[in-house]
Amino acid sequence: MNGLWRRRLWRALLSVGALAVLYGIASEIGSALLPRRIWMVMHYLEDVELLPPYRSLLEEAVFLIQSGILPRSVLVSTARVFEGLVFGAAVGVPLGLSMARAARLECLLDPWVTFFRFTPALALLPLYALWFGFGELSKILLIATAVAVVTLLGAYQGARDVPRVYLEAARSLGASKGLILRKIVWPAALPQIFASLRIALGLAWVTVVVAELIKATMPSLGYLLALAGAYPRVPTIAVGIVTIGLLVLACDTVALGLYAVATRWMKRSPARA
Amino acid sequence: MRLAEAPRPPKARRVWLGLASVVALVAAYTLLSNAYRVVDPSLLPDPIRGVLRPQILPPTQRIFDAFVQLVGAGTLPPAGTYVHTGDHIGGLVEQRVTLQGSLLVSTYRVLIGLAVGGSLGILAGLLMGWSRAVDEYVHPIYILFRSVPPLALITYVMLWLGHGTAHVLLPIIYAVFTVVVIPTYHGVRDVADVYVKAARALGAGGGLLLSRVVLPAASPFVLAGLRYALIIAWMTTVGVEMLMADDGIGYLLVGGGMWSSRLEVAGDPAVIVVGIVALALVGYAMDAGVRVAGDRLTQWVKR
Repeated sequence: MNGLWRRRLWRALLSVGALAVLYGIASEIGSALLPRRIWMVMHYLEDVELLPPYRSLLEEAVFLIQSGILPRSVLVSTARVFEGLVFGAAVGVPLGLSMARAARLECLLDPWVTFFRFTPALALLPLYALWFGFGELSKILLIATAVAVVTLLGAYQGARDVPRVYLEAARSLGASKGLILRKIVWPAALPQIFASLRIALGLAWVTVVVAELIKATMPSLGYLLALAGAYPRVPTIAVGIVTIGLLVLACDTVALGLYAVATRWMKRSPARA
Repeated sequence: MRLAEAPRPPKARRVWLGLASVVALVAAYTLLSNAYRVVDPSLLPDPIRGVLRPQILPPTQRIFDAFVQLVGAGTLPPAGTYVHTGDHIGGLVEQRVTLQGSLLVSTYRVLIGLAVGGSLGILAGLLMGWSRAVDEYVHPIYILFRSVPPLALITYVMLWLGHGTAHVLLPIIYAVFTVVVIPTYHGVRDVADVYVKAARALGAGGGLLLSRVVLPAASPFVLAGLRYALIIAWMTTVGVEMLMADDGIGYLLVGGGMWSSRLEVAGDPAVIVVGIVALALVGYAMDAGVRVAGDRLTQWVKR
């Protein structure tokens, strides 16, 4: 097992390292060969580095960090993602669980859930901007909507997949509805809820980037990208993209870890599958 | 499996309750949105006064009007008479942006994304699931790329490709690709594995193994991935069109403008609602199509 993991790690480092070296070579050649003046629809863009070499990326990263732009943007955008995640899950999970338990509620809500499932959350952005303004609220609500739909479906599916035998056994032993929810439905639905939260987290990041691209204010990653794209300053774009990528990766890793912790009771044998 | 689930009410009752809930909510909305005709909103307390305006909650009949106007926008204005209207729907009609035309353009983009991104994703998933060496080398790179939201790339992609068809399509293809890889990978690696061992023991190999064992075993997972990819493709398409494109349903939603100043024109909620409902219906129809086709293709799976 240990040797297997070591080989995996070694190969991962090798391929990512090879990619990094390749980019380094390509950018060194590219910065000499690629045009720095680009015709863009209506005018020329001056001094564009299509493939910025590592030193200009490093320079840019140091500047963005030292000036506080990047740290503040990261904080603001991450806060939005998590506020949206908390609000959305707070609506989606209870609704999904109760839909799975109450048949009449399910029938009543079903058309609306389907409607929101097939409505791309981003399409709601103009409507939310109109209703809640261009400020914080419309961004967070947009993320919350995307999250709520996904977590609702996850919680619903999780609670529906609880074997009927468990429920009937508990009922015949005299368990109250609250106890059944707490001790049977909730733990059984938890893996699905966590899985849906992980998907929702990815969606939340997609949503926040676009919500921030439109009419945003400065400390935010989406607007950083939009501004850098307008100039255009490729090193800034690259640092922004890498930062978002790393944040998404970090969030996903944490979500996976939480999922593993929350579903530890499911593993019957100590050996990893 | 069916026995294990909680009981469900009969189908007729489900349909009836669902229909009733839709009718009730639409009726309630119609009453609420028309309330401004009866009560003077300026007399009401603050939050209600702000909400109960036709500019915020468009009356149902106005939404229907907007629908009719948008569907007929291609034919209505006779050439030559050029009346400049500053509002959302006026601008769209002026540019002859129709609802069906926008939907068609967006659907086309989604389909291209699914076709190109889907086949690349399935290919990558197959390779990664099939060969452990490929998995160990390529998976880390895939995870790095997957972490970047496709829409974050558009400003950079525009510098390379200019502002055009490829620039709009690339993020959609990329989004579909990253979504389809994982279900295919799991289908091939985890599910097909048992059958592959059995088939190998019986002497199958190469093309036979791939076409008769691996692909059928993985196909339910690939199809599930494609259904999710459909939702992601629509999301990305709408996002790209809102930010950058000059046509499509996303453009209709924001009513045009230069990409950097989109949404500065006060949007018309009636147009936006029409666009959203159309998106939901098309998304639902396409999903149903994939579902039905998928059930046909994988009839042998126990349901």
